[in-house]
Amino acid sequence: MNVLIVEDEKSLAREIASFLEKENFLCELAFTGMEASEKIAVNLYDFVLLDLGLPDYDGLDLIKEAKKLESEASFIIITARGAVEDKVRGLNLGADDYIAKPFSLLELLSRINAVARRKFNIGTNDINIGKFLLQVQPRKLFCEGKEVDLTRKEFDLLQYLVLNHDKVLTRQQLYEHIWRNTLDDQYDSNFIDVHIKNLRKKLNFYSATPWLETVRGVGYRVIMENKNSTSQKC
Amino acid sequence: MLRLKVKLALFNLFSKLAVTAIFIIFMPYLIGRINLRQIDNDLIKKREEVISIISEIGIEPFIEADSTDTFGNYNILKEEFISIEPNLTGDEINQIDVSKRLIDDDIIEYRVLSYSLVINGKSYILEVGKSLESISQTNKNIRNVMLIFLFFIITVTFLTDFQYTRRLLRPLDFIINKIKTIATPSTYDRTKIKTSTTDFVRLDETLTELMDRIEKLFAKEKEIAVNISHELMTPLSVLRSKLENIMLTENLEPEIEVKIEECLKTLYRLQSLINSLLLIERIESRQYLRNDTFQLRDVLHEIIEELSPIATDAGININHQLPEPLEIHNANRSLIFSMFYNVINNAIKNTGKGGVINVESIPDKNTFTVCISDTGKGMTEEQMKNLFTRFKNGTKNRDNSTGIGLAITKTIADFHDILIRVESQPGKGTKFYFIFSKNS
Repeated sequence: MNVLIVEDEKSLAREIASFLEKENFLCELAFTGMEASEKIAVNLYDFVLLDLGLPDYDGLDLIKEAKKLESEASFIIITARGAVEDKVRGLNLGADDYIAKPFSLLELLSRINAVARRKFNIGTNDINIGKFLLQVQPRKLFCEGKEVDLTRKEFDLLQYLVLNHDKVLTRQQLYEHIWRNTLDDQYDSNFIDVHIKNLRKKLNFYSATPWLETVRGVGYRVIMENKNSTSQKC
Repeated sequence: MLRLKVKLALFNLFSKLAVTAIFIIFMPYLIGRINLRQIDNDLIKKREEVISIISEIGIEPFIEADSTDTFGNYNILKEEFISIEPNLTGDEINQIDVSKRLIDDDIIEYRVLSYSLVINGKSYILEVGKSLESISQTNKNIRNVMLIFLFFIITVTFLTDFQYTRRLLRPLDFIINKIKTIATPSTYDRTKIKTSTTDFVRLDETLTELMDRIEKLFAKEKEIAVNISHELMTPLSVLRSKLENIMLTENLEPEIEVKIEECLKTLYRLQSLINSLLLIERIESRQYLRNDTFQLRDVLHEIIEELSPIATDAGININHQLPEPLEIHNANRSLIFSMFYNVINNAIKNTGKGGVINVESIPDKNTFTVCISDTGKGMTEEQMKNLFTRFKNGTKNRDNSTGIGLAITKTIADFHDILIRVESQPGKGTKFYFIFSKNS
């Protein structure tokens, strides 16, 4: 998939690109609004990651321009301005999602994938982990045909770990993803540990979970035996 | 403390009464003087009449020559008399004064006009008198009429004055109401008040100007907050992305992984701190809308549900008794959620294994109170003083806490006009009361 990263902070733009390229995205960079405007007019993108705080352009104008050109690109707004009005204005103009700096790259990827699933209507795919089967839509977990009863938070946690398999996720990354709708981030590392503990207890009742690893001092990781069959990439 | 219109009315009343009192004190004297003047004129007129009669018919009919050469005539009620007698001293007399006369065993006070006249070479004294008793009676009557009249005048003018000042000051009440009912300067009612009093027009204009100025200042503050957030968040984002990318490198040494995670943790603390300060800033500059309507009970249930795994893990029991539904209007649900969430989360942190947290609702006539109590370690008075002060509430050094959660709670409560009361004793737990006013 083609992604245009519109961000005036060059080092951040490059960092996002280097991360997304590893996830098999094709990335182009635009450091100014003018540059971005030209690129959107000429090229076809699946995604535009758009920083609202450009020095020469009101980022929201770029969305208007793109919509006028009937561009197919999905916009994900990146902003340091957490103001509520910005968010509402952006989404009203047709942006697909909104992420505030400083964001986690994994969270950004998860948002891109969520938009992609909506857009290309993929997401009914099931994921096998050990003896478990995770359905992204409808959000369900089965073990050898029996449904495992999980709370919403437990399911979110498991799904995020599974979708980012073979990567270590820190407690903050997990917390931010699961509690992203709360206004103030009164983060507590204990929260994730408790939920993982409960999750393990529930899963172990059905089958052992050696694939759900604790990485000492860092966080948690899900290890997939068969990487190819569960690929989320488009 | 008195209302302006009451003060004016009272002053009005007192000044009227004072003037009346002075008038009442001097009235007898004045009336007396006026009456005396009237009587004197009367007496002079009578004298002229007598003189004209004498010059017509001579003095003889009045004086019996054989006896004492005197003449005296009273009317029946002894109110007036006329007398003529020889002037023995021969002095010229023309005077009016008060003297007592004995008439038929009665001593009566008269105002007497004495006048010497010469007829046929003989000198006489003519005296015309009028009883003062009749005068004092007149005085009394006049005074009574005056008093009734004054009382009537005072009552009528006082009432009309009071009504007028009330009418006059009505724009003031209107302006006060305008200020009282606004939540932010931007919602200030800028329609001009209807009045013909220049002072009120000026007051109204000055207030409108002031509101405009405050609104501009708020906007400026908001701008600064936005700028700071932008300036700080971008470098933070760069650092975070770089660290996360390193973390994703394959076959990373476990030690390095741990170090990077520690860096990320510190970065996150910084981010969370800035976000919390910005949140307070945004609430205080009223960037959040208050247009949600919801059941308070639902919010509390949601929080308890979210936190119960943590509480259960810590061996704490959360009880909730929320039988009374309360619909909240004109509030921000997310903010109210945060407000309670921070307090209940705090309660969990400060309560040891086997502890209990109670969430209750206490309905009252005009208020609705939510009480969150724990059996935790409680606080000293010194700790309670700084409870809502940022970074000063003693939680700062605890792992991962930014010491700002309760400051956020307080800011949100203030924003929604919710009163917070805290009761606590070391070792005996803490009680937080959130008092909602029912009419808001």
